[in-house]
Amino acid sequence: MRKLLDWRGHAWLCLPARLYLGFVFLYACWHKIADPAAFALDVATYQLLPLQLVNLAALVLPWVELLAGVMIVVGFRTRAAALLVAGMMVVFIAALGWALHLGLDMSCGCFASASEADPISGKTLLRDGGWLALSLYVIIFDRRPLGLDRIVERTTTSTT
Amino acid sequence: MTGPGEAGARVRLAPGYLRPAIVLRDAALVVLLGAGIALASNALRPSRRIALVASQPYEVLVPCPEHKGTASPLSPAEARALGPGDVLVDARSAEEHRAWHPPGALWVPFDYLEPVSREGLGRVLSRRPRRVIVLGDGDNPDSGEQLARQLAGKGIKNVFFVAGGAPALRGGSRGTP
Repeated sequence: MRKLLDWRGHAWLCLPARLYLGFVFLYACWHKIADPAAFALDVATYQLLPLQLVNLAALVLPWVELLAGVMIVVGFRTRAAALLVAGMMVVFIAALGWALHLGLDMSCGCFASASEADPISGKTLLRDGGWLALSLYVIIFDRRPLGLDRIVERTTTSTT
Repeated sequence: MTGPGEAGARVRLAPGYLRPAIVLRDAALVVLLGAGIALASNALRPSRRIALVASQPYEVLVPCPEHKGTASPLSPAEARALGPGDVLVDARSAEEHRAWHPPGALWVPFDYLEPVSREGLGRVLSRRPRRVIVLGDGDNPDSGEQLARQLAGKGIKNVFFVAGGAPALRGGSRGTP
């Protein structure tokens, strides 16, 4: 297990996974930031949060997605960013599972507003499960992430 | 942290930003930063501003669940002559069920916005029915027909609904006791 964790190739395997996850999150946050009212309606449609928290979640979540997306792409505090991505994926999967359990025939709201076609289904759950697996891979195996983290680390070690 | 110049150093400690406590702290800071930017952005964009707490519930319009199964109508006369193994299910509201229901009818209320509950489905299946006959309100659409189609869509065989619903089965005009 130790050998597996220490394998240097993980950093190179994690790089495309990080870029993919990062761009997915950057793409996903765009419409939510641009139109928070539409996203608040998407959040309310899931019938998961109490009314008092719907708007707050709709405002804050896209910005956390943006920050996590940028961080995981550039490799800054990579593990924290991957942890945030994984946490958000768990929340999204729980929300999707709840909506499917209720039998709601609704749009996912993941990449576009509810008015556009992106209906939730078992495939949406599988897709999110795949993204969760990728983020967990980064959290567990990316011990020397390529990117700003490594550059900063090299700079600090060479100056000491 | 061991530097590259330290010859013979075998143990390489993880950089600070990879340690679990630091990772959790960084993630929490990002959430706080995101919340701060979100609130500032909301305050600075009057055209796109939304209230931090919604004052009124959202009008969530979700299409009704799709009823995929097929169920056949049963005339009130046929529904009055049920045999052994036939299970009569009352799909109407609690008030309607309390006001009148055929003896032995199983109450499984139908909701246009929610699929039939697992518990309701279990109660129907626990009777090991030969036929399931659903009694609705007789409206258009009839709640009995809707529930019957849902039950059929869940894989239950031989599902019927009473044509005309409870008013037809009672043989009187609707709403009379």
